[in-house]
Amino acid sequence: MEIIMSILAGVLFTTGIYNLLQKQMLRIIIGTALISHGAHLFILTMGELKTGAPPILEENIKNYTDPLPQALILTSIVISFGVTSLLLVLAYRASKENGTDNMEKLRGNEND
Amino acid sequence: MISNLAVLPIVIPLIAGVLAILFHKKLKIVRVYSQVLTLINTGVVTYILFYVHQNGSVVLQAGDWMAPFGIVLVADMLSMTLVLTTNIVALACIFYAPKSLSIKQEEFYFYTFYFLLITGVSGAFITGDLFNLFVFFEVLLMASYGLIVLGGEKVQLRESMKYVLINLFSSMLFVTTIAFLYSVVGTVNMAQIAERVGEAEQTGILTTIGILFFFVFGTKAALFPLYYWLPKPYIAPNPVISALFGALLTKVGIYSLLRVFSLIFVYERDVTHELFIWIAALTLIFGSIGALSTNNIKLVVAYNIIPAVGFMLLGIGVYNSTGFSGTVYYLVHDMIIKAALFLLVGAITYLVGTSDLRKMRGLIHHYPLLGWMFFISAFVLAGIPPFSGFIGKLVLLQGAIEADRIVIAIIGLGSSLLILLSVLRIFIRGFWGEKDESIIPDRKAARGFILPVAFLLFFSVLLGVGAEWFYPSIESIGDYLMNPENYIESILKE
Amino acid sequence: MLFAVFLPVLLAIFIPFFSKWKEKIHTGYFVLLAPLAVFIYFIPHVGNDFSPVSQSYDWIPSLNIGLDFYLDGLSLLFVLLISGIGTLVTFYSIFYLHTSERLDQFYVYLLLFMTAMFGVVLSDNVFVLYSFWELTSISSFLLIGYWNYKEGSRYGALKSMLITVFGGLSMLGGFILLSIITETTSIQAMISQADVILSSEYFGLILTLVLLGAFTKSAQFPFHIWLPDAMEAPTPVSAYLHSATMVKAGIFLVARFTPIFSGSDWFFVFVSGIGILTLVWGSYMAVRQTDLKGILAFSTISQLGMIMSMLGFGTSAAIYAAVFHILNHATFKGSLFMIAGIVDHETGTRDIRRLGGLVTLMPISATLAFFGTFSMAGLPLPFLNGFYSKEMFFDATLELNESSIAFANVLAQAIPYLAVFGSIFTFVYSMYLVFGTFMGKQKLDQLKIKPHEAPIGMLISPIILVLGVVLIGLFPNLVNSSFLAHTAEAIYGQSMEAKHVQFWHGWELPLYMSLIVVSVGAILAFTRKYWNGIYSFIPGKLSFNKVYDFLVDQSEKASAKITNVYMTGSLRLYMALILVAILVCSFGVLWITDGFAFENPKVDEITIQEVLIALTMAAAAICTVFTRNKIAAILILGVVGYGLALLFVVYRAPDLALTQLVVETITVALFLLCFYHLPNLRERTEKASQKLVNIIISVAFGTLMTVVAISAHSTKLFAKISDYFVETSYKLGGGHNIVNVILVDMRGIDTLFEIVVLAIAALAIYGLIKLRNKKEAE
Repeated sequence: MEIIMSILAGVLFTTGIYNLLQKQMLRIIIGTALISHGAHLFILTMGELKTGAPPILEENIKNYTDPLPQALILTSIVISFGVTSLLLVLAYRASKENGTDNMEKLRGNEND
Repeated sequence: MISNLAVLPIVIPLIAGVLAILFHKKLKIVRVYSQVLTLINTGVVTYILFYVHQNGSVVLQAGDWMAPFGIVLVADMLSMTLVLTTNIVALACIFYAPKSLSIKQEEFYFYTFYFLLITGVSGAFITGDLFNLFVFFEVLLMASYGLIVLGGEKVQLRESMKYVLINLFSSMLFVTTIAFLYSVVGTVNMAQIAERVGEAEQTGILTTIGILFFFVFGTKAALFPLYYWLPKPYIAPNPVISALFGALLTKVGIYSLLRVFSLIFVYERDVTHELFIWIAALTLIFGSIGALSTNNIKLVVAYNIIPAVGFMLLGIGVYNSTGFSGTVYYLVHDMIIKAALFLLVGAITYLVGTSDLRKMRGLIHHYPLLGWMFFISAFVLAGIPPFSGFIGKLVLLQGAIEADRIVIAIIGLGSSLLILLSVLRIFIRGFWGEKDESIIPDRKAARGFILPVAFLLFFSVLLGVGAEWFYPSIESIGDYLMNPENYIESILKE
Repeated sequence: MLFAVFLPVLLAIFIPFFSKWKEKIHTGYFVLLAPLAVFIYFIPHVGNDFSPVSQSYDWIPSLNIGLDFYLDGLSLLFVLLISGIGTLVTFYSIFYLHTSERLDQFYVYLLLFMTAMFGVVLSDNVFVLYSFWELTSISSFLLIGYWNYKEGSRYGALKSMLITVFGGLSMLGGFILLSIITETTSIQAMISQADVILSSEYFGLILTLVLLGAFTKSAQFPFHIWLPDAMEAPTPVSAYLHSATMVKAGIFLVARFTPIFSGSDWFFVFVSGIGILTLVWGSYMAVRQTDLKGILAFSTISQLGMIMSMLGFGTSAAIYAAVFHILNHATFKGSLFMIAGIVDHETGTRDIRRLGGLVTLMPISATLAFFGTFSMAGLPLPFLNGFYSKEMFFDATLELNESSIAFANVLAQAIPYLAVFGSIFTFVYSMYLVFGTFMGKQKLDQLKIKPHEAPIGMLISPIILVLGVVLIGLFPNLVNSSFLAHTAEAIYGQSMEAKHVQFWHGWELPLYMSLIVVSVGAILAFTRKYWNGIYSFIPGKLSFNKVYDFLVDQSEKASAKITNVYMTGSLRLYMALILVAILVCSFGVLWITDGFAFENPKVDEITIQEVLIALTMAAAAICTVFTRNKIAAILILGVVGYGLALLFVVYRAPDLALTQLVVETITVALFLLCFYHLPNLRERTEKASQKLVNIIISVAFGTLMTVVAISAHSTKLFAKISDYFVETSYKLGGGHNIVNVILVDMRGIDTLFEIVVLAIAALAIYGLIKLRNKKEAE
């Protein structure tokens, strides 16, 4: 299953990056969201899947799933959420202010 | 008890930043408050540095969770030297800020963002945990996002989109790579990673993961061919923010490279460090070419960040104690001079009303002090003795030649010439020449800008002329980095 | 010596105060003290029983950089030249520069230069020498740019700076190599290890790098181009820096390293070859100039070439002649520059075509000029020092050593002829200079002011120098054993007898050569008008200036061109380039290190349920690429997010699932909120090729991630640290939910700063929204 999950995360990266290479802001941001999903899936997979019970201590259970990746993902999810929110508002403001949501038109020149 | 020292450089600015929210509209108070707290923090950091210098590294196992399980904070000579330099830069910027920022910008949490940026940078220097490093990266990046959009100008919004997106991508790559590494070595504590990578003799997959780390940090550090995002976004915000960015952000990337590639991935140097040498060479070449390509004086300074990063990577690539010492010396030098230059061109732009070199002439008649400070900065930057850049460059080149890397040493020398030309032409065209009678000099404003810059230049001169006070310590950092077992033992002693 | 070196700079600190009284007393009088004091301090060292003196002061011992001063015959000659000429030039400048000029700046630069120069010639430490060396470039830059409102000044200043700093940097490279090979930074210690250096594999490189430094500084062909443009500086500066002292720093450097380098035959080829070429080219080009200072500049270039070539010969006779000529050149060239300055000052022009017949108006200057030029031309008169050194030069060209390099032997054969050729032109321009200015028809109508003799103060300095010319001419052995012999010895590296120089030494080849020079030179000088056309063939339109201009110009234009190719401001391009770099290097490394692994990884079984979720997510992710409806796109993205949450449930991560659900919901809402008012998604309009590139990059990157992930998963080499968390979660952390304990306790710092990140984001968003409203309201 880890192999399939790795491939799935790879697909998320692929589609994410494909979107990232587009011109329109919405697509680009969707791309970043896909990439972060891919990243989180990678963390989970790298900690090995289903090696035991959910990491909540109970009596009689000895094997638990690796809790550390879960903690890391949790931190990372929250951080990505913060960044994505900012990015969304920023994209909204940038496209309003500049009158376009096409990143290729937002190149600028030397002196501004 | 004493180990708690390590957390102070992170906690003081954190608390300062949070409290600054409370009176963000009372500008008079918040200005003085920020200045005082930066001073206090600088004092504390100086004390810690001396303490570490006397007694060796201070390792804090946060929450008493013993390493490698909890997060460790490591105040060693390297991290504290950089934290102190950060605070020196911060001091200059915080005194410069009120003159440069608009009231609106100050009101909208500049001071909070500023303190949290310092928090993130200091945290990144001090932490001994790879995932925690990621978190501190995010803190400093998020603070930088807050700063870069501050004011909401058209240009800022446009450039910050690119800045945020590229950094977001590299952050995601960062966590993913941490996951890969965790899979192989089963830990995120840097000392333990180092130990385990050594035991595993750095198999092929570890080297590949190392290269991914190189790209993660290389993107932050603005190496060739990853630096495209840097020049324009760095000059979009207010000069004081540019100065903070230029001095601190890329340097965190370089610091991480230095740490990771002196501590962890050091067993396949024919692959990794060989690559660094070539990338350093290309960074030097393209960076200095970039600096010559524009007439926008802010952009000239922004481009000049890049060859400096190339120099520092060179020291990492040659992998000897001299090279490491050179990198650290250059790091300290570069943080200071980049801040000074950004503040200087910011002042010029403010006073002249444009950053276009073609519209300037004869400024020295109006602003002699500014002109001479710029003149000195040009030589500091190009590494001409007796200033700080010379010592850094000299040691780096010695390291390169000791490692038989003659070609890169020559490229380094050549790029120094281009760097000098790129800034000297600003002096010649902008400051020399006939007096421009149409300018009504604003001496009072100029005076306000001069002091912070002079403060920074003082250190540039001190690090050059008084190199003997600093170099022996930096040299010992070089030795320390060459022997990672010291670091590992100091953390995993039990 | 420390004090002597830094005395000028110390004095410079007080110059701004002195210049406050400049209306009453010319600032130059204060400045005069510094070189004079140094001169007086060092003059007692002249004597038969001289022996080298060294003094050391710590500077940066940890880098082996110390203020180690070493006074031997060579440095003594230079120190006395610098301080002696320095005194005369400063005195001259008092009358040359009016008090309405910015005297404070001028003299600060000048004093800075003096310190730099003393430092160069007295330092025994290569890095300190280099430091002072660059300081001479900087002060020269400032002095050339003194009248920086003139375009020419700025141009000349930059040119001299770039060329000399280029040389300086190259020299630094050479010094670093030397210091690493010999493990010392002291030149004297290096000399004692000459054999180590000569046998080093880097010797060729060292020689090239160090000589580049010397050649650029001493304006050797083809780096000579900066010197004529440096003439934009005030004339006292030209007389001082660009004739008597700074340009001789290169000579000094070569002389200093002669004991090491002369062991190699290539030293002769480089130094003598370039030197003699410079001599010929400089004297040939001097005849073409119309500016008095231009003639003198090219003359300086050619004379420096002559000295350089003699150093390259390496024989004791040649070195002695070189030393002798360093002294002689300083006397006559210094005086000639001052006369040129006087002419400029009194007539308002330095254009020789507008001058003529000034001898009646300026008799003293004219007399001095005659002495200076005749000495320079090497006229065989017993009271002109120039003749002696030229004769010794000819003598030396005839006694060259055999070399193991074939080319060196050819060069040795050619040198006497080239020497005569160069000297003929030296004769021509000397005559042209003095006769064109002082004899012939007066053209007063072309002058703006009516010329008259200069004030006596201005004449004193050139008079003293010309006295030197005559004195050395009359008594050529005056300072031989007490002074010059020590210098020559220091260069030659072993003791040598003081040469007895005499005017008449029989009908020998050198004398014939001199006679040829004088007779052919006289004919050419007389018939100059008729053969002047040759300059339109050689050099014609070729010029090294054009090369320099091209390089500097192109450095900006080409840089802009190169940079604009990739710095387009296009995020897509940036991302693509970054991704390609990562792909190439990572796949490369994976391949080189054989890092791919797929060895019976410990895998969890595959269940239908999970595969279905995975397929749905993958399909949804791919759909985001194709959909054109923004709402649909956002919702599809939500599907991926919720799918991930489901996976978290399946993979025993309840906390994650919960968080992911909440976060995903809010994110989707935010997406909708922000993009509701923005345009709908458009057709992806990129070209097919661009699309292909995008596809290749993204698929390759996805593959890279997957491959690395699988390999990493296949090579789990160590036990995870997590077992510890399971064990201690309750015991030490007091919680059953291990993930929670990790978050709030074991890795509490992460969580604290994760919250900080969120808080900053909130503030930034608030600012983004709020600050705009304020602005729109205004």
